[in-house]
Amino acid sequence: MKVIRVSEINKTFGSVRAVCGLSFEVEQGACFGLLGSNGAGKTTMMKMIYGKATRDKSCQGQIDVFGYDPARDELAVKYLSGVVPQEDNLDEELNVIQNLLIYSKFYALPTRVARERIASLLAFLELSDKAKSKIKELSGGMKRRLVIARALLNDPKLLILDEPTTGLDPQVRHVIWEKLRQLRSQGTTILLTTHYMEEAFQICDTVLIMDKGEKVMEDSPIRLLEDNIERYVLEIPDGEPGRTVERECSVEGVRLDCAQGMCRFYSNELDRLKEVAETLSGDPYYLRQANLEDVFLKATGRGLNETQ
Amino acid sequence: MRRNDGFAYPPLRQRLYSVWYRHMRVYTRNLLSNGLPPFLEPLLFLVGVGLGLGRYITESMEGLAYIEFLGTGLLVTTAMFTASFECTYGTFIRLEYDRVYDGMLAAPITASNLIVGEILWAGTKGFFFSFAVLCILTAFQILHLPQALLAPFVGFLTGVMFASMSLLVTSFVKTINHFNFYMTGFLSPMFFFSGVVFPVSNLPPTVRFVAEIVPLTHAVRLARAACTSRYDVHLLGDLAYIAVFIALVGALAVRRLRRRLVN
Repeated sequence: MKVIRVSEINKTFGSVRAVCGLSFEVEQGACFGLLGSNGAGKTTMMKMIYGKATRDKSCQGQIDVFGYDPARDELAVKYLSGVVPQEDNLDEELNVIQNLLIYSKFYALPTRVARERIASLLAFLELSDKAKSKIKELSGGMKRRLVIARALLNDPKLLILDEPTTGLDPQVRHVIWEKLRQLRSQGTTILLTTHYMEEAFQICDTVLIMDKGEKVMEDSPIRLLEDNIERYVLEIPDGEPGRTVERECSVEGVRLDCAQGMCRFYSNELDRLKEVAETLSGDPYYLRQANLEDVFLKATGRGLNETQ
Repeated sequence: MRRNDGFAYPPLRQRLYSVWYRHMRVYTRNLLSNGLPPFLEPLLFLVGVGLGLGRYITESMEGLAYIEFLGTGLLVTTAMFTASFECTYGTFIRLEYDRVYDGMLAAPITASNLIVGEILWAGTKGFFFSFAVLCILTAFQILHLPQALLAPFVGFLTGVMFASMSLLVTSFVKTINHFNFYMTGFLSPMFFFSGVVFPVSNLPPTVRFVAEIVPLTHAVRLARAACTSRYDVHLLGDLAYIAVFIALVGALAVRRLRRRLVN
């Protein structure tokens, strides 16, 4: 069953086309990731799904969430969803529990039910010790987990997260990923945006790579890797940083890509790259498996565009 | 599809209440620093201006002793100022700096619910601030209960009226400093020319005409009538003005500010 269906959606801000003809579907219980650089249109697309932004009226496109159109039935969509915005907008004046209690009113939870629910959510996100703490006393990772707890107050069937782990340390990121995996295994559908390739690889069943408001590719992370990039990469710092030097590559079955002070040799066979490495006469190199970042950069280009 | 699930979202009353509740909780969190000034300010004003300056003003104003005249005016100006600050600087900070609204709008409320809840909260603050002035005036035996107990309700109407107007102003404002124009260019003159410190009846006809157009004059008249139990039929005109003002300006503010919340 599809929880979200988006077809041919456009969104323009003045003369800027933030989202162009975007379509995708999210299966119930799946984790779907919108992956893209800053300004690619991920957040805008996400906001249109829960009614915080409106799609262009001129576009023929449709958005359907649980059978509701967010442009008409935003309350129904929001009631069934939990949203983690990009910024941690907690109420600094209130403590942890109070922050959650004021949000429980939005869902008309009776106070007793709300308190029980809050206690279990704080336990789930490992914040029980901080129940009475002021927001200022929380670390960045704790604030983020608290915002996630807030989004889970009404036991949402769909959890929407805008860059859930941006700016957090590795430990916290792994904890959050683990929690999201748990939620998914309990049947919660998850839609998230990220520009971390690793995040997409770790938790998403399907990844949609966006660039300048358009879909570049969409598939499971594994398939994206298999279909779009060689299996191994050999990275060698270029002699003259900042300059792109065209190097010749003599070994067969090896693709070369030089940009921003780094030469990367790609191949499906590890031995071929080792052959290249041997010709380096002791220069430092780094031989690794290709990852989503390589796919992403190959698909969207290495240079900055005007929105970054 | 689970079409019925979504219809369980809370009714309008609950949605407005939850916005109001959020503001109330944040405000009452610092009860002492937020709750004391409304009492201290009228006290200072009455001691400084009323008792000091008032001694030299022996003529009665609209049949009231000066301290009584000024005190009944302060009942509504305090509501005006608190609602105006709440819905200019307060709203702007929640909108642009703290991003509080981004979080609230992820919950099942609409942007319009949020704005109306905001107006109702400002009205409540108007009620409370008027009530504080009333307490001081009663303590000094300037006003007498129980008839003056109606005054905080005028404070509520004043709060709602100025919240609507302030939100409309906020919908145009791009940087927080622009509010200075509204404060010194609009609210301060209104304080002096709306029959708070002296009666509008003796003003030159043109100034008097302007005084009748601005909202504060009508609220002052209502409050003064309520405190002194001197009702006449013209007050219906003041009441009608306030009702129409709230409906029109409020609707416009909701319309304009909604576009800033949902893009």
